[in-house]
Amino acid sequence: MNAGEAGAGLRRLVHEVRELALGDRTVYEAGRLTVSEEAARSLVEDPALAEVGLACASPGEPVRIIGALDAVQPCSKGPGGGGVFPGFLGPALPPGRGETHVLRGAAVLAAGHLPRAQEAVIDMSGPVAPLSPLAATHNLVIEFERAPGAAWEDVEAAVRRGLLRVAVHVADAALECDPDAVEELPDPAATPEGRPRVGVVTNIQTQGKYKDVFVYGRSLSTGLATLISPNELDDGAVVSGQYGHPALKNPTYLHQTHPVVAALRECDDLSLAALVLCPEPVEQGAKELISAHAARLCAGLGLDAAILTKEGGGNADADVSLKMDRLEEEGITTVGVFAEMAGRDGTGPSLVVPPSRATAMVSVGNYDELVSLPACERALGGDRLALLDRPATDELELPAAAIYCALNPLGWGNLTCAEAG
Amino acid sequence: MRVVHYINQFFAGVGGEEAAGTEPELREGPVGPGKRLAALLGDEHEIVATAVCGDDHASEHSDFAAALVESAREKGAELLVAGPAFTSGRYGLACARIVVAAAEAGLPALAAMHPDNPGLHEAAGTPVVESGATGREMRPSLERLAAATRKLAGGEELTADDGRIGPVARVNHMAERSAAERAVALLLDRLGGDREATEIPLPTFDQVTPADPVADPADALVALLTEGGFVPAGNPDRLESARATKWVRHSLEGRDSVEEGEFESVHGGFSTQWANAEPNRILPLDVARELEQEGAIGGLHTEYFATTGNGTTVADARRFGVEWAAELHEARIQAAILTAT
Repeated sequence: MNAGEAGAGLRRLVHEVRELALGDRTVYEAGRLTVSEEAARSLVEDPALAEVGLACASPGEPVRIIGALDAVQPCSKGPGGGGVFPGFLGPALPPGRGETHVLRGAAVLAAGHLPRAQEAVIDMSGPVAPLSPLAATHNLVIEFERAPGAAWEDVEAAVRRGLLRVAVHVADAALECDPDAVEELPDPAATPEGRPRVGVVTNIQTQGKYKDVFVYGRSLSTGLATLISPNELDDGAVVSGQYGHPALKNPTYLHQTHPVVAALRECDDLSLAALVLCPEPVEQGAKELISAHAARLCAGLGLDAAILTKEGGGNADADVSLKMDRLEEEGITTVGVFAEMAGRDGTGPSLVVPPSRATAMVSVGNYDELVSLPACERALGGDRLALLDRPATDELELPAAAIYCALNPLGWGNLTCAEAG
Repeated sequence: MRVVHYINQFFAGVGGEEAAGTEPELREGPVGPGKRLAALLGDEHEIVATAVCGDDHASEHSDFAAALVESAREKGAELLVAGPAFTSGRYGLACARIVVAAAEAGLPALAAMHPDNPGLHEAAGTPVVESGATGREMRPSLERLAAATRKLAGGEELTADDGRIGPVARVNHMAERSAAERAVALLLDRLGGDREATEIPLPTFDQVTPADPVADPADALVALLTEGGFVPAGNPDRLESARATKWVRHSLEGRDSVEEGEFESVHGGFSTQWANAEPNRILPLDVARELEQEGAIGGLHTEYFATTGNGTTVADARRFGVEWAAELHEARIQAAILTAT
């Protein structure tokens, strides 16, 4: 690899977090992250928020988080972030080069009420824990109350900004530490020749306030398909402001650690050639345009194959199906990641809008099937589960649809669905 | 075995659509197609009674089934058969409900209907065997039903070889690898030339034949329906914002429009800000009333129906459709405007 190629790639400096606590000073040392309560709170405080609370929730604890909103992996390129989360904390410029420190095994998570936010549940232990990526991380949970009279959009903006600031603040504590691992992420332009060139086409939800996702701090709602380097994801180029569809949600954390990008980086038979971000518009005409245009873009990039992901259900299936068909028409072999909506008993038709030409589909599970959650000792994010009007710590029966990222459409989970017997 | 047979008002000879509100009753012995079924069943089995209910009544009163099953048990029923319902949606739903109620009461039960009948998905795990599409195929349909009944009476499980239809349940489980890793593996399979590999088979959907256009709208009674999660302010029925399992009805009598603060949308799939600021955007009562006053339509139904179309299962949506059709039919409504969001 010559110097030019190295310069275009990203070096990931990984610091493993194995323990999390609140304390007086923010310190990272030998896997233990201590977070200054005062510093973190002051980073979140905002005129739109009446009260900000901080708590820790680690894997295996008898804790349930309800009303889980966005989650972020701590990362920083230098004091104050050094350009991560462009458009929010850093200048709105493409990141994804140089070095980035990440705190692997940790997340900063907001929990509470926002409009249109469907209740999302995380059990940190018990039978449902394996369904959620945030049950496997040491979580710094930010709880909040709206200031009297504050506009909800200001509350949402304050929570999002606060999450990103705290994520950078805690990662800054590791800037001077020796990493546990150094991972080189080459620029896609420098990927080996002779292998099939694969694009990751990631649809991101653009359905208005509280159901929007930001690229360089902007909504893609009126945009077209956009090509970015997969390495930009690690630096927070994509930030979620989408709080619906608990199980079918793609939090910032999973954009930063995009599972399909990660799987392709590990694959010796394929080349990760491009990441294409596409809006998920709500109008049929716009869906058709975005799909046809994205397929042309992928053809123009010389892709041989694509893996397509989405966010949300029903409406979002149409975007995946249309795009799969258009990609196949362009001669690009395509696999789509779908959630099934087959009813509680699993006998309904699985897909609202199936593709007609492209038929290679991976199932992240049936969203309607019920799961049982045993009672737990402590709840964060609220006292009562409004969905069932029950105390949050009770024994509960919920559809998989209510478990945070249980059917993550970016492909994080092992949950799947098949015919019985 | 002592068998009770369920049929609708039409096959019981009570009447057609005008008699669809017929209340449930139990008659002695076989009736209508039951006579042929009794002959096909042979001497080992006897149809001791026939349960009859109007299709509209059965669609609107799901408790009809438990009541008829109770009466059937009093007659000493040991097995219950229903149909064949062919492609008739309300009849199929009724057959499904009564076999489910019988199974819950511990009676072996089976129904017969066409694979496109919306009632098929209401039968849950209770067996259904295939029938023809229309009454013209009564004879082969009854032969298959009789054969399946004899087998069920013998304590055997019905299979596809007996004409058993209905979807096979898909069940969640944990795979060894993540969905992302499986997507990469599937892509490699496809690139390797496997054109079939997939984790989800393509579903098949029903074909719905639209009703004929209304001959003269000026004579037609029109209903307003919506899947926009449209409820009186405060959502007294607690209609779900997503994955609805029910629908609601509210009166429109005495109203010329639906006003901000009196109605709202609880739909979880879109921003309800503009719907709540002007509820007529979801339920267009204001313009519908104008059309009514101009005489462009004959009149408006006295109430609206609403559910939330957001992640609703196909089975629930089918049931709402059958129930709404029965309600509107009974109220002599000729046309409906269903606003989608």
